[in-house]
Amino acid sequence: MSFLIYALLNTVFIILISPLFVSLIKKVKAFSQGRQGPPLLQTYYSLSKLLKKETVYSTNTSMIMRVTPYINIVCILVASLCVPAVYIPGMAAGFGNIILFLYLLVFAKFFMALAGLDASSTFGGMGSSREMTVSAVIEPVIIIVFTALGLLLKTTNLYEMFRTSLQSSLFINPSTLLISLSLFIILIVETARIPVDNPETHLELTMIHEAMILEYSGPNLALMEMSHAVKQTVLMAVLINILIPWGLTTAPNILTVSISIIAFAVKGVILAVAVGFFESMFAKSRLFRLPNLFMLAFFFSFSTILFELLK
Amino acid sequence: MMMNFLFVCGLCMFFGAALFQTVFAAKASVVVRRFSLWAMLSANLLFLLFSLNIVLRDSTFSVNLYQLTDILHFSFFVDRLAAFFMMIISSVSAIACLYSLGYIEHHASNTDKNFLVAMMSLFIIAMLLLVASDNTFSLLFFWEIMSLTSFFMVMFERKKADTRKSALFYFVMTQMSTTFLMFGFIAIYHITGSFEITAIPVVSPFLKAVIFLSLFIGFGIKAGVMPFHKWLPYAHSASPSNISALMSGVMIKVAIYGLVRYLVFVLTPDRWWGVMVLLFGSFSALLGIIYALKEHDIKKLLAYSSIENVGIILIGIGLYLIFQSYGFYDLAMLALIGGLFHSLNHALFKSLLFLTTGSVVNATGTRDIEKMGGLMKVMPYTGFLFLAGSAALAALPPFNGFVSELMIFQAFMQSFIIGNPFLKIMLFLGLSLFALTSALAAACFVKAFGLIFLATPRSEEARKAKEVSPSMIAGPAILAAVCLLVGIFSFQIFSSLGFNLPIPNLMLIGLSLVVTLGLVWSFMRLVSNRSTRTSETWGCGITSQNSNMEYTASGFSEPILTIFRPIYRTKKKNERSFNDAGKSIFKEGNAEIQTFKVFEERIYLPIAHFIQRLSNYISNLHDVDLDTYILYSFAAIVILILAAGWLI
Repeated sequence: MSFLIYALLNTVFIILISPLFVSLIKKVKAFSQGRQGPPLLQTYYSLSKLLKKETVYSTNTSMIMRVTPYINIVCILVASLCVPAVYIPGMAAGFGNIILFLYLLVFAKFFMALAGLDASSTFGGMGSSREMTVSAVIEPVIIIVFTALGLLLKTTNLYEMFRTSLQSSLFINPSTLLISLSLFIILIVETARIPVDNPETHLELTMIHEAMILEYSGPNLALMEMSHAVKQTVLMAVLINILIPWGLTTAPNILTVSISIIAFAVKGVILAVAVGFFESMFAKSRLFRLPNLFMLAFFFSFSTILFELLK
Repeated sequence: MMMNFLFVCGLCMFFGAALFQTVFAAKASVVVRRFSLWAMLSANLLFLLFSLNIVLRDSTFSVNLYQLTDILHFSFFVDRLAAFFMMIISSVSAIACLYSLGYIEHHASNTDKNFLVAMMSLFIIAMLLLVASDNTFSLLFFWEIMSLTSFFMVMFERKKADTRKSALFYFVMTQMSTTFLMFGFIAIYHITGSFEITAIPVVSPFLKAVIFLSLFIGFGIKAGVMPFHKWLPYAHSASPSNISALMSGVMIKVAIYGLVRYLVFVLTPDRWWGVMVLLFGSFSALLGIIYALKEHDIKKLLAYSSIENVGIILIGIGLYLIFQSYGFYDLAMLALIGGLFHSLNHALFKSLLFLTTGSVVNATGTRDIEKMGGLMKVMPYTGFLFLAGSAALAALPPFNGFVSELMIFQAFMQSFIIGNPFLKIMLFLGLSLFALTSALAAACFVKAFGLIFLATPRSEEARKAKEVSPSMIAGPAILAAVCLLVGIFSFQIFSSLGFNLPIPNLMLIGLSLVVTLGLVWSFMRLVSNRSTRTSETWGCGITSQNSNMEYTASGFSEPILTIFRPIYRTKKKNERSFNDAGKSIFKEGNAEIQTFKVFEERIYLPIAHFIQRLSNYISNLHDVDLDTYILYSFAAIVILILAAGWLI
């Protein structure tokens, strides 16, 4: 019962706040380019407008195109239950398992890549191919980062990890800083941002994620955009809860939960601004240069492991 | 009593079916074949009942069937491990029989079809009895029956030169595996003086290592462990799909059974064995999936993916050995159960994939992915089942493949409790390779499913394909359902078997997926615009899109091929000539990408050449007169007597 309340609260909060972070990053990028940028609530407007539009399917498509938006959002929402933003619930059998969390995200990605191929457009196929390549190469980094975290915090359960990081001030620990760097790179890669992918353009040379969802329209596009936004918030929440967990509560009541929510919103805004500036500082890098970036992240996390093992 | 009845009754039905088919091989019609297949199906169900009974109750069963001499006899002993593998064999075989009801009628010659059914029956029974064997004599006997019958089945389309080459390759490899096994068994006999499969006493580390290595190579060849894997892609692509499903789903698991049996129950493993098994496993897994990604022949792709999965199973076994040697029994158990559970899961989803692939190959008449595409619209059921198999293989929760990979991940992630820092670092590197493997498997099956079933047809054959007959859908459908159910109820299954494993309760996860889906769907029904329209795919202004414009299999795997170029040893050739000196007006050009068959050209062929030279030399010895032959016989007798003196 208490878990149900948590699930409802966490999901609703993450759904509500996710579009804000998306717009905020756009705003920061516009600011650093000397433009004014879209209003902060633009993503909410766009989503509600998309819901009112009709859906156009290509004549070539099959069921995959129609079910993917739902599979995507469902998998990512269930994965978001593993990352508490409102309060850390007590143990719930199964939730919080790190491998489960990662593979729910892979589930969503698997179907998104299939949907990219479904319309038989060259763009979609290219996007799927690149997405699967990039996600394959980043996967060892992700696993090693979370293993390093597991080693540091002595658990492989996300709830336990956050609880431990909350109790001990890990901010000053060099291992945490190294891991956070890797987590930040994962955040950039998984949310399809510069230098890995360019979320702004629809140019075949630069895009990965946008190419896959190019054929989507109307409410389906709204679902795809929403799941992308939620995924971004969830990955941000992992980084926030590890590096700066202050404010997150383990004993929920109205006061502490509101503090948690406000604290998370503030920390999320800071991180989103950071992501925006980070994106502005870099240029899109060549696809085949990406493994080098991933090697860097791998190096950071593996050196954390070495450091922790030999300490 | 009941168990005896099940065992013997199942045996009789198998032999009956085989006998029936062989005797009437030239005449038997569809009805007779159907009858035999149904008999085999029910015999498999009897064995399934038999093995489930033992697995659930943790009881044992033994019977002495036939006494040849004092030490050579066919006797059987089934414990939980053997029953678990019998369960894998009988369940997958039952489905293969069901599928064959429809599938086998697509082939031409009546005699060939009858022969195939007979061989199938002998093949299945050989595997079942092999796993149940109580001594190495009967184990080797059934091992050979299994190899021979499978060789005949690979030869099914013997008129094709390709098939003959593949079958011969398979035959040589399988005989090599028997030779190594025999060597290992004789070495064990030398120590214990009996052919029973029981724990052997402490012996010198050298002898133990020799036994382990020869058994590992013997079972490894059959399991398709790199670098002994090369027969798999050949044999699997040449044989009919129901046979590929049996060989890939079941036969290579029999080799895994042998390995586990000897490592856990017979030998006392050293620590380096675990490290070695883990290394072989990691490299089989990674290279298997990397090679699978470049394949365009769908059955070869699946064969390479089998190599990957055998690698994953070996990783589980390797971790078990390492943890066991350090005394972390809980973790060791987790790794071993992960490996064994993956054996079951791989048997289920790989046979599902091979069977649905058989339907696709039947419908389109080609194995080349490049010539498929768009089949989802003409073969929706087959497509859906292939998707379920791919999802299980890509370890998507809550399918069964996810649970076993999760167990191995969990075991890996806790390997920091081992004291030796060098080993710890090696294990963490192994973990990252395993993660890479798992992600590449997802990419590989996006490619397989996406390019076969999605987009538009890329050939006339694919355009004309038709959905297959009900029995060819019913079989795989059962497998797909089992894949999902075993995954969802994995936690409950393991706790009812008495294992308390740290795995998430996937029933809850499945439930929350369904509830969330319901909520999202009703929300969208309420607020969103429900009108839809179909239109053409956007093609940058080109109005008539055709299938030449969509992404191909080579295109899909190109980025991965480029990143892993050192492994594929690809050579890119790009020759261009120009009309002018400034190289701006293009005249003609030629570009190709070649991949180098590393294993074949660096390992297999040199050995084959060496043996050929040796046999040339030996055949020269034959070109002599009678006196020399008598000398040869004398020498042979002396050597035999000496050898017998050493053995007995």
